[in-house]
Amino acid sequence: MNRRSFLKTGLAATTMLAAPGVLKPAMAAAPVTIHGLKSMSGAFASYGQFAEMGSKLAVQDFGPLLGGNPAYVTIDTESNAGKAVRKVQEAIQQGATFFDGCTLSSTALAVGKEVAKGGGVFMTPAGADEITGTDCNASTFRWTVPTYGAVHETVRPLSKLLPKARRWYTITPQYVFGEALLTAAKDLFKDLGVEHVGNSYHSMQEQEFSGYLTNAMAAQPDVLVLLNFGGQASNCLRQAVNFGLKKQMTILMVWTAGLDQFQSLGPDILEGVYMGAQYWHQVQSPMNIALVKRVKEVYGMSPNYPMAADYIGTKVILEAIKKAGSTNGKAVAKAMEGMAYEGPTGKESIRAVDHQVIKDYYLLKGKAKSAMKDADDLATVVSAGQSFPQGDKILCKMA
Amino acid sequence: MLNLYFFLTLNGLGLGMIYFLISVGLTIIFGLLNFVNFAHGAFFMLGSYLCYALLALTGQFWVALIFGPLIVGVLAWGAEKVLIRRAYHLPHTFHILITVGIALILQETSILIWGPVGKSIPMPEALQGVVIMGKFAYPKYRLFLILFSAVIGFILWLLMERTRFGALVRAGSESTEMVSLLGVDIFKLFSLTFALGVGLAGMAGVLFGPIRGADPFMGPEVLGVAFVVVVIGGMGSFTGALVGGLMIGLVQSLMTAIWPEGASLMIYGAMAAVILLRPYGLFGRA
Repeated sequence: MNRRSFLKTGLAATTMLAAPGVLKPAMAAAPVTIHGLKSMSGAFASYGQFAEMGSKLAVQDFGPLLGGNPAYVTIDTESNAGKAVRKVQEAIQQGATFFDGCTLSSTALAVGKEVAKGGGVFMTPAGADEITGTDCNASTFRWTVPTYGAVHETVRPLSKLLPKARRWYTITPQYVFGEALLTAAKDLFKDLGVEHVGNSYHSMQEQEFSGYLTNAMAAQPDVLVLLNFGGQASNCLRQAVNFGLKKQMTILMVWTAGLDQFQSLGPDILEGVYMGAQYWHQVQSPMNIALVKRVKEVYGMSPNYPMAADYIGTKVILEAIKKAGSTNGKAVAKAMEGMAYEGPTGKESIRAVDHQVIKDYYLLKGKAKSAMKDADDLATVVSAGQSFPQGDKILCKMA
Repeated sequence: MLNLYFFLTLNGLGLGMIYFLISVGLTIIFGLLNFVNFAHGAFFMLGSYLCYALLALTGQFWVALIFGPLIVGVLAWGAEKVLIRRAYHLPHTFHILITVGIALILQETSILIWGPVGKSIPMPEALQGVVIMGKFAYPKYRLFLILFSAVIGFILWLLMERTRFGALVRAGSESTEMVSLLGVDIFKLFSLTFALGVGLAGMAGVLFGPIRGADPFMGPEVLGVAFVVVVIGGMGSFTGALVGGLMIGLVQSLMTAIWPEGASLMIYGAMAAVILLRPYGLFGRA
């Protein structure tokens, strides 16, 4: 240690010992940097751009909580888990502690492990149940409702709305996410006493669904349940509507990306279709009303799911830093456990046992073009509720 | 059950004709120019976006169907004049590098113009609705696609087999030097063939628009299917593209009932089987 370092350390130690009361303001003045993990390029670039807008806005809006303006840095995950991990490792070596984002589940799972090794905090809106299940860790938190909740908050209320719908058919992508949704759906069909008349699996690359839809037609279901996501779900729905299935049966998309996906599909396709969503801009919670107003002021648009998810994720980290009175990653993660806060879906809280955010999931119904009040008024909220695995069904074993 | 398989076969034929239309341009270009066009999928994507834009501008799908392929073809003609013809004499790796670059430029330009989120394209009004067959329904638009693709296929066959242009293209695919020595402007022939092949990709993009919408990332998937069809049919073979397209459409559709999770995989399985039995494809030559 040279003379200058010795003097600096000594001065800092003396200040802390002499005046414990000034510790909090000292923390507030310490530089806090939120690292936004966003897919700014690659196949999921459309999500990353909105997510980045959300995180940046949250830092602007809630930075003053810490007595100063925290910094914000975007790390482009390039929609690639390997590249994201390398970039996060470099950031941690340079002192990064707080991370928010990751659209892709594979990226979120890999990044979460790295952040945990570095003792940081990572808030993600990714979909994989393993994040707060078998692969949970002390540093990772998830805002998204798991597949269990998505199925329960869409199939159950729809079943109540359509008591005569006894025959349900599913179309499922064959990978972990699809399997998780299908398992939850099958269990629920049993509970509800309705018949699961068939399922068509498809591969992760599939974009042509006419064959699967033909199989669905042959089973003559009352409800067609789409358990796929993103572009696959959009193409599957578009083709189902082309095949006239909307007139023959009710269609439910259990897991949608929300507004931007609906804008891409348009009201002609969406009218009368039921859709599950993590977030909807028309929800009348106090924070969401403020968020919609703010986003319209700053970006001239309605907030969509990636924007709202990364806005609240970033806000929660900032609030937790304030609550912890520290920028130490482990202390902030501890402060997040059990934390309750006002979120875009209303009152939200973080379950300590698995770091899962407890929040509403929505069942929406596509509106007719003639019923829309504005270009974003594409759906109406049919129901909202919370369903999460409990007891033995919580697979997280926090180390 | 038989009813289901009949319907899946019909659907497979429909899919096959669409795949034929997607891949025929690729095979024509390869046959004459011995040029591997990895931008084929991106030009298809551009066709879909032009369908969206022209429909928004005019409200007429038929206008999009005429002008979409034309615009794509003219763009391709320009790209061939400026860039591609300089690479004909280079190894295939250079063709790949150049055309992948063009594909990325087209993809990113589409994002700049139309945004990163895909667009839905409405069905033409006259072709909306379905034809009911027992407990099955088949979209009128897909029936139109089968017929339209068949007509385009027939016109292409006439062009290739019954016109001077077709004769030159076929002769050029055997020996460009010989055709050139006969006094034919071979570069003009190359430009026209490239524009025709890519224009057909644009046409497929326009026609596929109402089924799949327009999406900046749809190119690579379409390119994959086109290559499978061309490899099965034989590189450069017009008939091969038709038979390969139909074969892939039928395999994909029927497998959704037999082994749904493997339906996509079996496209490549069929390709592998053909390569094992006939390494140059069903109608290809060594």
